[in-house]
Amino acid sequence: MSSSSVLEEIRRAEEFLVVGKGVWRIDALDKVTGRARFTSDFVLKDALHVRLVKSPIPHGRIIEIDAERALGLGPVRVFTAADIPGENQVGYALPDQPLLPADKVRYVGEPVALVAAPDEDLAEKAAELVEVRYEELPAVFDPLEAMERSDVLVHEDRGTNIAEMTRVRKGNVERGFEESDVVVENTYRTGHQEHAPLETEGAVAIPDTQGGVTVIASIQYPHLCQRITARVLGLPHSMVRVIQPYVGGGFGGKDDMGPVVSAMAALVAFKTGKPAVLVYSRRDSFTSTCKRDPSVVRYKTGATRDGRLKAIEVQIILDSGAYANRGPYVLWRATMHAGGPYEVPNAKVDGFLVYTNKVFEGSFRGFGNPQVQFAAESQLDELAERLGMDPLEIRLKNLLRPGSRTITDQLLESSVGIYEAVKLLGEKTGFRAKWREYRRERAGRVRRGIGIACGYHGISTSRGVPDWSNATVILGRDGSVTVETGICEIGQGSWTAHAQIAAEVLGVPVERVKVVGGTSDAPDTGATHASRGSSIGGIGVYVAAKRLRERLAEAAARLLECDPSDVEIREGRAFRRDSPDDYVEWEELVQAAYSMGYEMSATGYFFLPKGKFDMERGLGYAYPAFSYIANVAEVEVDLETGKVRVVRVWPALAAGRILNPVLVEGQIEGAIAQGMGYALTEELKFEDGRMLNPNFTDYLIPTSLDVPEVEAPIYVEDLYEYGPFGAKGVGEMALIPTPAAIMNAVKNATGVRITEIPATPEKVYFHLKEAGVVAGE
Amino acid sequence: MTEPRVIRFRLNGEWVQLGVAPNELLINVLRERLHLTGTKYWCGIGECGGCTVLLDGEPVLSCLTLAVDVDGREITTIEGLATGEDDLTPLQRAFIEEGAIQCGFCTPGFILTAQALLRENPNPTEEEIREYVRGNLCRCTGYVNIVRAIKRAASEAAKSRRPGPAAGAASG
Repeated sequence: MSSSSVLEEIRRAEEFLVVGKGVWRIDALDKVTGRARFTSDFVLKDALHVRLVKSPIPHGRIIEIDAERALGLGPVRVFTAADIPGENQVGYALPDQPLLPADKVRYVGEPVALVAAPDEDLAEKAAELVEVRYEELPAVFDPLEAMERSDVLVHEDRGTNIAEMTRVRKGNVERGFEESDVVVENTYRTGHQEHAPLETEGAVAIPDTQGGVTVIASIQYPHLCQRITARVLGLPHSMVRVIQPYVGGGFGGKDDMGPVVSAMAALVAFKTGKPAVLVYSRRDSFTSTCKRDPSVVRYKTGATRDGRLKAIEVQIILDSGAYANRGPYVLWRATMHAGGPYEVPNAKVDGFLVYTNKVFEGSFRGFGNPQVQFAAESQLDELAERLGMDPLEIRLKNLLRPGSRTITDQLLESSVGIYEAVKLLGEKTGFRAKWREYRRERAGRVRRGIGIACGYHGISTSRGVPDWSNATVILGRDGSVTVETGICEIGQGSWTAHAQIAAEVLGVPVERVKVVGGTSDAPDTGATHASRGSSIGGIGVYVAAKRLRERLAEAAARLLECDPSDVEIREGRAFRRDSPDDYVEWEELVQAAYSMGYEMSATGYFFLPKGKFDMERGLGYAYPAFSYIANVAEVEVDLETGKVRVVRVWPALAAGRILNPVLVEGQIEGAIAQGMGYALTEELKFEDGRMLNPNFTDYLIPTSLDVPEVEAPIYVEDLYEYGPFGAKGVGEMALIPTPAAIMNAVKNATGVRITEIPATPEKVYFHLKEAGVVAGE
Repeated sequence: MTEPRVIRFRLNGEWVQLGVAPNELLINVLRERLHLTGTKYWCGIGECGGCTVLLDGEPVLSCLTLAVDVDGREITTIEGLATGEDDLTPLQRAFIEEGAIQCGFCTPGFILTAQALLRENPNPTEEEIREYVRGNLCRCTGYVNIVRAIKRAASEAAKSRRPGPAAGAASG
């Protein structure tokens, strides 16, 4: 389908029957009645239970793995690197990560061996009895130290602890700073964040009759799990089937961990010929799965007296932990988004991904962007302060608009709604008046403040990395509609959006549509990440459904004796536009189309057109489209305890067509809560690389008492020409500016800039004390 | 290990009888022995509320409850509330309509906890709702729509209790 015809469709379609409506989630009934089955709900007879044997040290050589005592307990099997029939490699961006290490361990909690037994207790006991002898090596935990050292190397063969370097060079920053009247420079730090999906990582693997294996797992990309599992087992991809059941939250982590747990369970099933169940304990889920990369961001911003941004110079250091995993891509995303959604004529950005001997990092909602937007958006408020402007004014002066160029010099021709969104948000919240009032007051023990922050996020994969959409739509002889896609349902509602798209295009009620997704039996649709599930994933459904619609229109024309262009199909009936009472029922139409020889299944494929990217200068086409977000947060800061309470958040989103407002609102509210946890309470503590708080008592995710009121979102529907009905991505958006919005509000309340998150009460208290802001004085 | 003990309890309206070990947890009996997997296991140490079931109408954490302790008593799990769309409870319906469900893993625990709340306090304020469900964690929704759904179920129940004109006519 040509781009102009897609755009034409969108423009013409002003009225929708299903799209844009808050239809019931297609999985809602299963989920309220307890029928929804998740990975660990597949209880199989004769299954082996698998437990991990984990490294107790941060860095060391494996001398010997002695399983004798474990095996002595009974029907126990132990698997190590030596048992892997294929390639012992699960690295994503770089081939640096074994499924089970053969020579050395690189973090506390790294799985070294798998123990399988017929019952869970026995497996657990046996895992404790596997004795691993190590020769301990010196370890390095601080990325700033690690990048300078060559005597302690996490990966010796690489010769350095720097796993990846990125850069952007736009214009001339020296000149930009010369032309600036004000320059602000600060260093920002962000901590780890654990995804804490309520369902932990897990996989059930079942050997099949043809020498292959079927894996049921908690995942975000079935075809990647298939590829990695096949690689580890030394099988062709076609011998591994991967199916997602319901998934209890992903947030990115299961995109990375899905292949690992799939391969582990499959290894046991493949070697024993029995079904194998591996479900991470909550502790495993903390100690042995990827996290959000901690960061250090040094940020220098220059602007003219009238508030125009002239230059930014940014250094981003991401702590990758023991393996690179997605890190190089995370770093690229952080690098290319470093300017924020603003016009910046001169930009110099350098990124470093650094190995340390801590748990490895990976995908997490926002993917490098929250770290860098926290810095960029804090900077903007500091700049405004120096210029005597308010935070809204400086943003409105510099925001991207249609025709703007990003810091990678990408021209944004259309679908840039952030300016309008921020303007509306400022009006709705009465931002200026409140901001001035709180700033003037600053009295008493509990101080109130308001803050704004913006964000933007490239949809789809970065740079020229190929991206496509792919789906199959099948009409049954009874008129039922099946959509097959690789996109996963992880709670975000993509399958419901897929059903809405198919229903809208075909002209049937949404209840008719069943989505079979998250399986390697469907076409490879790419991962459910990068806010692409509904936005990119939905394109294939649109294209396939369109093909069927055209065939059905032809069939209907023959039945109604008219021209196909005069046929209307809606709400399960086909009729001539000029005589709606003379109609054919949907079932009848589908059966007739079958009899007339029309193919009643269709594939939909769309390869995203992308531009060129110059890696050397970091310039060019970074993403096919950006979604935009702005949040205003109102907080109360207790000066005596240092506790920050987020009272209310107002979001504004420019993400093209809103396919289902109930689902989108849910994504926004959840992302704000997760962003608030990231900003204020979620802190992983380490001592010599060992995690001290791997549980929900000591790692604090927000409860019902902590979260703010979230006001109804402002939507600016800045349609995207290739998105289904003009939709762009939503899932990650509202988390991205949340930390900066909160910290900007804390500054408004107290006059103190906090440059480090999570801003736990003790940290806030000491910052306030240091700044001389104390209650009652 | 000591001898198994035979227990008998009412589960979702029907009496069941089985032998359990003295240290066997209710959650394992429900999930593994009786295959009622709607009750979710996620922390195992009482931090999350995901395994909540009703014991004589009171919410308890089945991961911290010994199976022997429910002998002679009544247990309600999520499977005991409805069989399909037609007999959904007001809470289940409100959870769907208010968009209180995302991944669905916390949903059974929330619905049962909320049911206990509405039994104790049919007309709770927002603060009372937030306070009552604070032990149930959710990572997807930010709790906004969950709180809204509980409020809606409460107000709908109140409406059906109040003898409005229609109800009055029916009873008269």
